Amino acid sequence: MRQCSYACSSVEHRISRRSLLAGLAGGAAGAMGLSGFAHPAVAEQLKAAAKRVLVVFLAGGSSQLETWDPKPGTDTGGPTLAIPTSVSGVHIAELLPYTARQMHRLAIVRSINTKEDDHGKGHYMMETGRRQEPGMSYPTIGSVAAKFLASEAESLPGYVHVTPGGSSFGTTDSAFLGPKFASVTLGDGVLPTTAARPESLTESADRMRNEMRRRADHRFQQRRRTAETEAYSQSYEQAAELIAKREVFDVTKESPRDLERYGTHDFGRHMLLARRLLERGITAVKVSHSNYDTHNENFDFHIEQLGEFDRPFATMIEDLAERGMLDSTLVVVMAEFGRTPRINHLLGRDHWSAAWSVCLAGCGIQGGAVIGKTNPNGTAVADRQVGAGHLFHTYFRALGLDPTKKYVVAGQPIPMADPQADAIQELLA
Amino acid sequence: MIAARTLRMTCTVTLAWCSWLAGHVRADEPVPIHQLIDETIAAACQAKGLPLAEPASDAEFLRRLYLDLVGTIPSAADARAFLDDAAPDKRAKLIDRLLASPEHARHLARVWNVMFMERRPDKHVAAAQWQEYLRKSALDNKPWDVLVREILSVDGADETTRPAAKFVLDREAEPHQTTRDIGRVFLGVNLQCAQCHDHPLVDGYPQDWYYGLFAFVSRTALFTDKKNKNLVSLMEKADGDVTFTSVFDKTKAIKNATPRVLDAKAIDEPKLEKGQEYAVAPTDGVKPVPKFSRRAQLPSQLTSPDVPAFRRNMANRLWAHMMGRGLVHPVDMHHDDNPPSHPELLAALGDRFATAKFDVRTMLRELALSQTYQRSSLPPPSGEPPPAESFAVTSLKPLTPEQLAWSIMQATGLADHQRSALGAKLNEATLHDGLVGNVSPFVGTFAGPAGQPEGKFQATLAQSLFINNGGQVRDWLAPRAGSLVDRLMKLNDPAAIADELYLSILTRPPTTEERAEVAEYLTDRGADQRAAAFQELAWALVASVEFRFNH
Repeated sequence: MRQCSYACSSVEHRISRRSLLAGLAGGAAGAMGLSGFAHPAVAEQLKAAAKRVLVVFLAGGSSQLETWDPKPGTDTGGPTLAIPTSVSGVHIAELLPYTARQMHRLAIVRSINTKEDDHGKGHYMMETGRRQEPGMSYPTIGSVAAKFLASEAESLPGYVHVTPGGSSFGTTDSAFLGPKFASVTLGDGVLPTTAARPESLTESADRMRNEMRRRADHRFQQRRRTAETEAYSQSYEQAAELIAKREVFDVTKESPRDLERYGTHDFGRHMLLARRLLERGITAVKVSHSNYDTHNENFDFHIEQLGEFDRPFATMIEDLAERGMLDSTLVVVMAEFGRTPRINHLLGRDHWSAAWSVCLAGCGIQGGAVIGKTNPNGTAVADRQVGAGHLFHTYFRALGLDPTKKYVVAGQPIPMADPQADAIQELLA
Repeated sequence: MIAARTLRMTCTVTLAWCSWLAGHVRADEPVPIHQLIDETIAAACQAKGLPLAEPASDAEFLRRLYLDLVGTIPSAADARAFLDDAAPDKRAKLIDRLLASPEHARHLARVWNVMFMERRPDKHVAAAQWQEYLRKSALDNKPWDVLVREILSVDGADETTRPAAKFVLDREAEPHQTTRDIGRVFLGVNLQCAQCHDHPLVDGYPQDWYYGLFAFVSRTALFTDKKNKNLVSLMEKADGDVTFTSVFDKTKAIKNATPRVLDAKAIDEPKLEKGQEYAVAPTDGVKPVPKFSRRAQLPSQLTSPDVPAFRRNMANRLWAHMMGRGLVHPVDMHHDDNPPSHPELLAALGDRFATAKFDVRTMLRELALSQTYQRSSLPPPSGEPPPAESFAVTSLKPLTPEQLAWSIMQATGLADHQRSALGAKLNEATLHDGLVGNVSPFVGTFAGPAGQPEGKFQATLAQSLFINNGGQVRDWLAPRAGSLVDRLMKLNDPAAIADELYLSILTRPPTTEERAEVAEYLTDRGADQRAAAFQELAWALVASVEFRFNH
């Protein structure tokens, strides 16, 4: 961080970064105060140990029976068979052959009951670990990670969402953490248009006018400097850095071989972009894959969708492991909910939250672990029932954050994770 | 029938206030409110040994007053006229002129809209009708208690009064949501944490306060009139008792709540025999009307003299609007552990506000007249800057998204261009209507999340990129008849150019250093790049901290 050349005496300035927090676990202390360490080598070390999050969101609600919890040969299983994996005794659906070979790095929770069959509410619940309630919004796991794990000195956005559709700067998924920690959406992997200088503005003209702005700010702030004025002035430096670092977001800079390994379809490119972002210092990345809302033709659609998902996902896990990044990257494959064991008359499966699965990896999550189980035909949880709150606690623990701490928002203490739930200890190293 | 009920309610309320006033108004003329403010603030600063900032310069005062009262910066022409005016009472005159202007009513309506609705997307009442209702209320200087009673009493079924129902209708009449926001917006208390138990950190927020308010609205729900184009309005049941338990209570004791506002007396409820509760009984497709409506009691109870929190809350919010932070701060967290910085002053302001029949314009006028408001934002030259809550120095206020949009339109001269283009048709409404479409991208980029109080200021990458690379600001800076760069192109003297730039954008003349800087920049860019250079210089000032913060 730049040194202040003049008095930074406002109280707000001294406490701004911490004011939201009642306290944090030791694991996050490095990220909180990275720039405060005197010795650059220490800061570097801490930064190397910084943790990251990758959420793969299977939008619409993927079927647990076609992915993590197949039930071949039962009245609900449909045509989907189970195949062995790299972990003896653990079987997953045949539609995930590449993923099966990474099973020793993955964990499955098969006993999720979220009691929420609405797309919007289910999505909210899985990303925030809370049931929606009037008058209150909680931050998503990506925003939480951006807030607590990203280095303050980092000029790139802390949370990036890669998805089909349009690009935009989000403002809401970070809730009370503020828009600074909201996701930047890269529609089809492309930055919002304002991230590029318009053609009519040359780099040198932009530099010159920003130099004039800087001088004006310097004069104004000589006696009127606050945390807010400083953050505002600094936000233009961040903008300039982002413009200069646009290559970070350019997946075409990856090698042709990697482009081929991940696949030339959208989801493949988006996953490769996610790897690139994680490697280059983005703390939280979410990749959405559409669409799994298979009310009809469930099996055909899953063959098609998972045919896209399987290889890039497995390649990502392998690459993260090879690069030594899996130990510090929490990976979660989630959806709004699962799908009904009952197969409807259109050969579809409908919304189903009573017994479904999520896949996790990295950041100390036990490779090969299978948590909980459903009954023989998947119509109910048979053992170790958990909800979104338990998963959220588990993410926090894996990331080195203490989920029992509280935010203090406008004087109100707000538990960081649902106090009625706790972490799935068996999953954690 | 609705009209009769409203009338009866108004009478009861007025009587209650009359008897309260009789006990509170002194025979001798009290000191003007602005004097009371200044005496209290100065005495508190003196007691703490805090030096006061110098009075604000005319230029600083002018910019601040425009932003606070009409929501935009003044034009260069208006600035020149004010700065050149030698009249000793020109500040008071300006305050009165702005308060009486239609621009003020428009601005106040915008501020109130955000306060009431917190940028929720429209649900049942269109924003345009609601804004117009608020604007007219501000234009008529409708007393605050009257406005609040209207908002909380209408059910939305009558087209003429429907806009006022937005507060409850657009919260889907969800009783917890409504309870939380009535507490916050009208009483300055955020009782959210008291929903499940007495507030764990705040002794002064017991759970029964929450359920006392909740009991007024818990029987209310949305009613869809299938016979009238599915119009959604409010209905109320005649039954439904409110009981609650604390999640901390091991015995799980069940308590009953009757409608009451905070620690005021609970309302008297008539005992109605079973089967006799309804004037119109609930049947399929028919909106029920209970003989006794709990919700109908809320407006008069809330605004009654027995609820000091009601008058204090608005006095504090008006104070915060002008001074940059509340005497209680945040404005919805008034409790024993977060006391007002100047408790007697807040109590006095609340009482004086009530005595003045909740006259918002008078309160704003008095606040603006105070030396406290008219102090510089430059702290005294020596020592630590005084803390914001001392009001010894004027706090910096980030512009709201709307203030920012309108101010950039004024600074770049887009507004001047529009004025001359309108010609004879120019008035507040036509100018507003012609430009208002430009505002929503600013709201989208600079506003906090919908349905939440505006959080602490955050500068985001999205915002700086919006100003740095976005098409809007770039387009506004481009020369067009009467715009800033168009005016600059007609000037040759670098000093005159600097003057026009600074006066148009920062509402002040440049310093010698700044004049020299402008001249140097123009020389560096060369004669063939004048238009580009002007746009760059103007951009630098528009993007500056000095522009972004009301100071």
